[in-house]
Amino acid sequence: MSLEQIQSLLDLSSKFLMVAFLVYNVSFIVFGIAVLGKRWSKRDAKSHERRWGTIGLIITIVGLLSQGAFTGLRWVANGHIPVSNLYEFLTFFGMMIVLAFVVIYVIYRKPLTGLFAMPLAVVIVAYGAVFPSDVKPLIPQLQSIWLYLHVSLAALGEAFLAIGFAAGLMYLLRTINFKERSRSGRWKNLGVEVTMFSLVTLITFIALVFIFRGVGYHAEFLQKVVEKDIKTNTEFEVENIVEYTLPPIFKPHNSETVEMKPFLGLKEPLFEAPSWLKGVNAGRKLNTIVWSLAVGLIVYGLIRLIIRRPLGAAVSPIMNGIDEQDLDEISYRAIAIGYPIFTLGALIFASIWAQQAWGRFWAFDPKETWALITWLFYTAYLHLRLSRGWQGEKSAWLSVIGFLIIMFTLIGVNLVIAGLHSYAGV
Amino acid sequence: MLNNTKCECGHQNPVGTVLCEACGLPVQQEMLESDQPLEMRYEGAARRSQKSNPNILDRVWNFFSSVKVAVYLIIITLIVSIFGTILPQENVIPSLDPPAYYAEQYGWFGELYHKLGLSDTFGSWWYKILVLMIAASLIICSLDRVIPLYKALSRQQAKKHETFLRRQKVLYEGSVSNADEWLERMEQALRSRHYRLTRDGHALLGEKHRFSRWGPYINHVGLIILLGALLTRGIPGWYMAQNVVVNEGETVPVPGTPYYIQNIQFTEIKEIGPHVSGQQFQFAFETEAVLYRCVDNCNNPLQKPVLEEVKRHTIKPNEPLEYEGYSFYQIDYNFNLRPMHMTLTLQNANEETIGDLPIDLNNPETSYAVGDMRIELTGYYADLTSENGVPASKSRVPNNPAFIFDVTHADGTTESYFVVPFEQFQTRLKGTGDVAGLSFELTDMEVSRYTSYLLVRVEKALTFILAGALIFLFGVVIGVYWQHRRIWVRIDGERLIVAAHTNKNWFGLRQELAKILTKTGVETDANSLDNYGVTKQ
Repeated sequence: MSLEQIQSLLDLSSKFLMVAFLVYNVSFIVFGIAVLGKRWSKRDAKSHERRWGTIGLIITIVGLLSQGAFTGLRWVANGHIPVSNLYEFLTFFGMMIVLAFVVIYVIYRKPLTGLFAMPLAVVIVAYGAVFPSDVKPLIPQLQSIWLYLHVSLAALGEAFLAIGFAAGLMYLLRTINFKERSRSGRWKNLGVEVTMFSLVTLITFIALVFIFRGVGYHAEFLQKVVEKDIKTNTEFEVENIVEYTLPPIFKPHNSETVEMKPFLGLKEPLFEAPSWLKGVNAGRKLNTIVWSLAVGLIVYGLIRLIIRRPLGAAVSPIMNGIDEQDLDEISYRAIAIGYPIFTLGALIFASIWAQQAWGRFWAFDPKETWALITWLFYTAYLHLRLSRGWQGEKSAWLSVIGFLIIMFTLIGVNLVIAGLHSYAGV
Repeated sequence: MLNNTKCECGHQNPVGTVLCEACGLPVQQEMLESDQPLEMRYEGAARRSQKSNPNILDRVWNFFSSVKVAVYLIIITLIVSIFGTILPQENVIPSLDPPAYYAEQYGWFGELYHKLGLSDTFGSWWYKILVLMIAASLIICSLDRVIPLYKALSRQQAKKHETFLRRQKVLYEGSVSNADEWLERMEQALRSRHYRLTRDGHALLGEKHRFSRWGPYINHVGLIILLGALLTRGIPGWYMAQNVVVNEGETVPVPGTPYYIQNIQFTEIKEIGPHVSGQQFQFAFETEAVLYRCVDNCNNPLQKPVLEEVKRHTIKPNEPLEYEGYSFYQIDYNFNLRPMHMTLTLQNANEETIGDLPIDLNNPETSYAVGDMRIELTGYYADLTSENGVPASKSRVPNNPAFIFDVTHADGTTESYFVVPFEQFQTRLKGTGDVAGLSFELTDMEVSRYTSYLLVRVEKALTFILAGALIFLFGVVIGVYWQHRRIWVRIDGERLIVAAHTNKNWFGLRQELAKILTKTGVETDANSLDNYGVTKQ
């Protein structure tokens, strides 16, 4: 294939992703109408829900097909399944969440599932689009059929666990009494609020990246790093170019500004990243984290100023009239379905592949360890639920914590802890 | 305190029994008087861990038989594992002196991390103890429950006490005019939904998917096999891992095995990516290898070993060479030019070629015959340097080889030469007569460009590990995706009681029972079957 052909395929594929993204948003709205609209509908509530639920499902499937086309075209252009960097993996993970939702929907026929699963998928896909979308050939270790099996099944398993989280969070929003002032009541409120704040921060961060990308913001630094050759025990200096797409509050440690567009009158970075932050692009990552937290706090603060009460308390009335038993059931079933798929994809297939590629099936690489941690967590969840009767609220809290662990395993490990699975990141 | 465990139906139950093994009536008074749904876990059977007057062994058993303890063990392992990912572990740091490395790289935190033993979390004795405790918990939890559960389920009676039925979470009460005729229809309806039936007069038990109850125990067995298989690494010959470094053109022994491996050629393909601007990407790297078995002179340093080719394979990532349980993996490589073999051509004073002198630079022969001369190699400096005016070798790597040749001519005259081919230098150290001299000219050389790093492994436990993992998965799947459902029917005169139980998915059970009852002519809907109103799972 010529370069032009590949480029045009990639362009076409991104259009399908854009379409899918928009369609997911529409399907979210339709599920909203299905669930919330039955209160205003003059017709029988049951038939209203069934009708709009079916429309929502069809729209969702259209979106899924469109994203399927994105994946297929990119696959052709790439020459391998597009799951090899964070951009590709996260959009794929978003697609798997939609797929898991469709499966759960077919079993339970509860449109309210769409009310939380679709926005989750939308946020994950958008978050994926934050990362560089360059196409790169696979390094030899990754050229294996197991890449397809391991990554796609792991993502599908995690997608079901993510649905478990979304239903669990809704359960909490539905059942927690936000007026309760007792000690445990305050803790619960705080827990929900922290979760809501994290979601707000993630969404603002995504918006931020797209705004600065839209205006073409760019800054560049020349960083000097002292490296040590272990064999000869000599130190030598390496110069790296570090590029920023967000205005630098922190510049890389020991670096000079090559180019920096002024931002709000800011012509030079305010601070320098401390030297004890190790790893590739530590300065840029610190800058990104500071930006996200700062803007997240500002946006969250503004929302609080406008609505004058906690976010959880503001959102919870939407859940009125929803059967919390259904939410608990869906959350548990999604996790029960996801657990064996996750085990097969993220642990068993992963080990088989590691044995082939590196000659060892398990080496406690950070990513492997975090997959094990996720597995241990959901194992504890199942024991607590099935043997110790942790249902309803306790189980819902666990599903929220579990998703946090999954997200850290998928993204945090890559960005924070380097290992065999580290990719480039923002 | 001694509990009377004899039930009113006349059955004598073991101590610790919750529900009568025969009729299902609660044994303990307080449970009998409660109006809560019956605790159906393990069918209310007595477990070993509920023995009265426990001795020490019983206490250990009781400790490990607790699910609560199991969950604590899982959570502790989880938290400890998180600590183990904070900093790189000792097996991956590029240093042979971990304490110094952690202190230098991560300051006081690194020092503390190393002192606490977290720098080798997964190889530490306490991590191993945690895993062993989990294994003990897996075995004991399973045995403690599966045996009484198996006994209880295989001894089931169709006829249950009214109290047992009324306190099930799914219940229908009504009346039928003709009991036999209705039971006939009920049996048919249950059969069509794949229930297996036991009939006892006017009592009926329908049961399906009992195997799903074994799911948890099967998956625990899988995990025990997996953990057990890891222990077999201690068996001699079951586990081996070592690195073999082999230059292009070289054949090296694999220590501890009868095998030799040869690197015929190493290939690295780097290309400019088809769709990335100007960057070079590595597409492949591979070693064209031959595996030999040594058949003679194997451990004799004075003799060349006799090798017999057993397998040829191009080793690349994801495609190891595999032979008789040994696997050779391509893990790394290094590019450096290194002379392997050279040919010196001898000429006499009249510039007439006498013959060739082929020299293996890594392992040169000591004696050669060229034309009618005998040449002895009496000095070899692979990497020539001079120490106080005396020739010496910096290393064993033939970067700049130098030779001292003792030449014996056919007529018995001898002479001696010092030759440094790369420097085009030669000098006659001693000689008899006025022979004009020989010249040694470098005419051919083989160079190794790449050093290939191979990992050699034996892992006999692999099959068992994989089997354990698959058994685990099978157990999880049958335990999670199927449910054990039972429906009890009891008719006394015209009074009908139908109760049902499942180990999960009550919603599905109610739907199914409603359909079955509708088929027998009893009109009911799924929600009204919910006996306690809050029983979904």
